[in-house]
Amino acid sequence: MQKISGYIISLSLIICSGQVHSQVSAPDSVIIPLKVMASIEIAGPIMYFIDKNNLSLGGYLSCDLNEKLAIYIGGGYSDYKYSQYNYMYLSKGAFIRSGIDFNILKPETSIGKYRFNIGLHYGLSVLTSETPSFKYENYWGTITSSLPSKHYQGHFLEICPGFRAEIFKNFSIGWSVSLRKLIYTNADKDLRPLYIPGYGSGANTVSAGIGYYLVWSFPFKKIKVSVKPEPAEEAEESEETQEP
Amino acid sequence: MSMIITRTDTSNRNFLNFDPSCEIMNIPIPKISVLLLSGLFLITTSCDQEACFEETNAFLKASMYNYSTLKIKAPDSLSLFGLTKPEVKIYDKAKNITSTLMPLDCSKESCSYVIKINGVNDTITFIYTSSPHLISKSCGYTYYHTLNTAIDFSTNEIDSLGFTNNSITTFDAENIRIYY
Repeated sequence: MQKISGYIISLSLIICSGQVHSQVSAPDSVIIPLKVMASIEIAGPIMYFIDKNNLSLGGYLSCDLNEKLAIYIGGGYSDYKYSQYNYMYLSKGAFIRSGIDFNILKPETSIGKYRFNIGLHYGLSVLTSETPSFKYENYWGTITSSLPSKHYQGHFLEICPGFRAEIFKNFSIGWSVSLRKLIYTNADKDLRPLYIPGYGSGANTVSAGIGYYLVWSFPFKKIKVSVKPEPAEEAEESEETQEP
Repeated sequence: MSMIITRTDTSNRNFLNFDPSCEIMNIPIPKISVLLLSGLFLITTSCDQEACFEETNAFLKASMYNYSTLKIKAPDSLSLFGLTKPEVKIYDKAKNITSTLMPLDCSKESCSYVIKINGVNDTITFIYTSSPHLISKSCGYTYYHTLNTAIDFSTNEIDSLGFTNNSITTFDAENIRIYY
């Protein structure tokens, strides 16, 4: 519940901040550079310095098709360890994702520097999963056992709204929230992998996550995009500004 | 108080700028800060630890039935303990028990219980297979069982047994009925 409320509040902040963008008169057209973007995810390596048990490396490449649409391909590697009082777990593997990103900002707002993407991606994860030890206790006593290493696959879909801002020429930073739905895994339903690289908790059929990105851009083409004026909205806003 | 949003620099056409470019209730807000901070807020809300609130034991659930009326009925007194563990009682002269929860021995393929109904002892032996099951990250693993329908039992106070579900999981579902 705390996670969900966090996402809602954050998205509300985004929406609030986005509402102030179009309050000036727009030109007839804007020049938008189309780019190839290469990105690395930085939260995983940073978290690794805090918690040496979990290494997660990831990144993506995307290429603009036009001012709204980009094709996306990403991937990564994960080495996950978890232990608590009654079990120890290991998962190691790689993942790829591909799909499209829609930039929902208007061209006159985006101007090739800012993006609020809605990404729709398909993901495939291949991993080995192992439980070196687990303990089970009931009336008859305590059992310590283990589950051997096995290879698994996980297929998932994800929707990931995210924001990118260019802070230097051809260099951007940003973040994305990911909501994922596991659509298939070859694991037994009783023994799903606890962690699926690129997806998250294999015990759940829905998972959420967040990534922070450094993005290098390589413009390859410039296009001219027409801008539609919004006279009614501007008139209303000009009245508001005259309030004392 | 109404919220007034004004633009202070109409010459600046950028959506996000490091200069304050909008005011909310007369407070200048750099819009990029709002967006980046909203992302930081996400990471802080994503790192909460989860506790285990789920059932972690798979019990064989046996309901107590009166054999003459075929209706569920709690015995006046019920005691239950493992045949090899008489010193540890699961129920000890308990009243108002209509459904008994019997843990199975995961290290073996059978286990026996002594069930004392209204002061009369009976013995029930269950045969089953066990398999590990992941409950959740926070709870870890448990064992599920598949009950063999060949149950050996004495008939001192027990009249008969009835099967309803041979899958023994952490879900609350009746597995057998004990008619007495």
